[in-house]
Amino acid sequence: MGIEQPTLWDSTQVAPRILHVSDLNRRVRSLLEGDPTLADVWVEGEVSSPSFPASGHCFFTLKDATSQLRAVIFREELARLAIRPTHGAAVVCHGRVRAYEPQGIYQLYVYDLTPAGAGDLHAQYEALRMRLAAEGLFDEARKRALPRWPRRLGVVTSPVGAVWRDIGNVLRRRYPLIELVLSPSVVQGPTAAPAIVRALQRLYADDALDLIILARGGGSLEDLWCFNDEAVVRSIVSAPVPVVVGVGHESDVTLSDFAADLRAPTPSAAAELAVPDGTQLPAILGRLRDRASAALLGGVADRQRHLEAERRALTGVAPDLSAARQRVADLVDRGERALGASLQRRRLTVDGGRNALRALGPAATLERGYAVARLADGRIVRSPDEAPVGSPLEVVVARGRLDTRVEGTHADRAEDLLG
Amino acid sequence: MTEPATDEELAARPFDELVGELQRIVQALEAGNVGLEESIELYKNGLRLHAACEERLRAAELTITELGRRGVPGAEPAGAEEATGG
Repeated sequence: MGIEQPTLWDSTQVAPRILHVSDLNRRVRSLLEGDPTLADVWVEGEVSSPSFPASGHCFFTLKDATSQLRAVIFREELARLAIRPTHGAAVVCHGRVRAYEPQGIYQLYVYDLTPAGAGDLHAQYEALRMRLAAEGLFDEARKRALPRWPRRLGVVTSPVGAVWRDIGNVLRRRYPLIELVLSPSVVQGPTAAPAIVRALQRLYADDALDLIILARGGGSLEDLWCFNDEAVVRSIVSAPVPVVVGVGHESDVTLSDFAADLRAPTPSAAAELAVPDGTQLPAILGRLRDRASAALLGGVADRQRHLEAERRALTGVAPDLSAARQRVADLVDRGERALGASLQRRRLTVDGGRNALRALGPAATLERGYAVARLADGRIVRSPDEAPVGSPLEVVVARGRLDTRVEGTHADRAEDLLG
Repeated sequence: MTEPATDEELAARPFDELVGELQRIVQALEAGNVGLEESIELYKNGLRLHAACEERLRAAELTITELGRRGVPGAEPAGAEEATGG
């Protein structure tokens, strides 16, 4: 190498970062794990060279015309699968892609394996489930609580067959107070989905309904397919009252189950969940009656105790009562005395008044030497011009009358005359 | 408190309403803040409600209405066990 060639150490470029193999594998692994598509994926292909080592896991290659992919099914999943992978089988695998760091490979970790023909249905199901879930149709927050005491229950199912009979039997045994409304529907075959939607809509028109059960017995994936229909799912979501879905067996989960306010594992379970347990009601009612009796008797006993306490309190204060009576008597005495004195004072006052009145009266005045002059018509004379010269005058004095005649008149003030 | 209802009125009311009223009466009695006369009236009403509920349970028969299958909303009942209501 030439002298002009820069060495690694004096290069102006940043030194390349050197990774360990394990670092790189970890980086690839986290890269794959960060991809949501790879975390939950359906892959169709042909099984090639499956092996079943002593670990109980299954390793195989999934391939199509141009590519291949390592795949593994762990023991637990393998035990649950309906089919075992066989060489040359066309399958759809559901799983996730991860890197296996120790070997620097990536592979498909398979949860579920189905024949490729059914895979179409699965893919449809999964695509619809994702789309409706993204709309929020399956949100837990959407789900309504069932009424505690339903009065009227609508059922959509086939009117023939065990399911309808089982529901009736459960309700008859458990809560026969319920009014049951059957809205019959075909629940299998190509006409089932629209028929179910119509049957639901008929119930939605019933304002008195408290809740609805949508039920069907067990069957194949294809038999239950109508419960994965988008129109059925949307109709359930639009229900004005809570809907309980009980379709097939415990392991069958349809999109209708996701949309339901409550998913029941079976039709009979749906009926059980929809109503209260009436067999407990007599006992509950009995306890209520007992509580009422106990409360009433307790109330009476409380009052008796209260009365007894008051009676004791009354007996205890009796001496105070006599003291009070004494106080009252004293007060009355004082009152009477005060009243007597007051009356006495008033009598004196009245006597004084009478004397004063007497002193002011005309008789006393006359007695003091005054006289009253009256004209013939009885008018009392107060001014000389009331009695012209020659008028007869009667003069009243203390002890008699004088008949006189006016000789002359003089307009003088009485005070001057008497002064 | 509510007026005492006649037996006919009790029979016409929904079962859960009767149970609910019985529960309210029990609670009122247990709260203990009603007078003696009112307590006795409440208790009598409670007993009548209890009897009405028991009678309802005893006589209960599942009523079934089957909606018509022609897809007409509110179609006429068509089942053998036609609903009698109430």
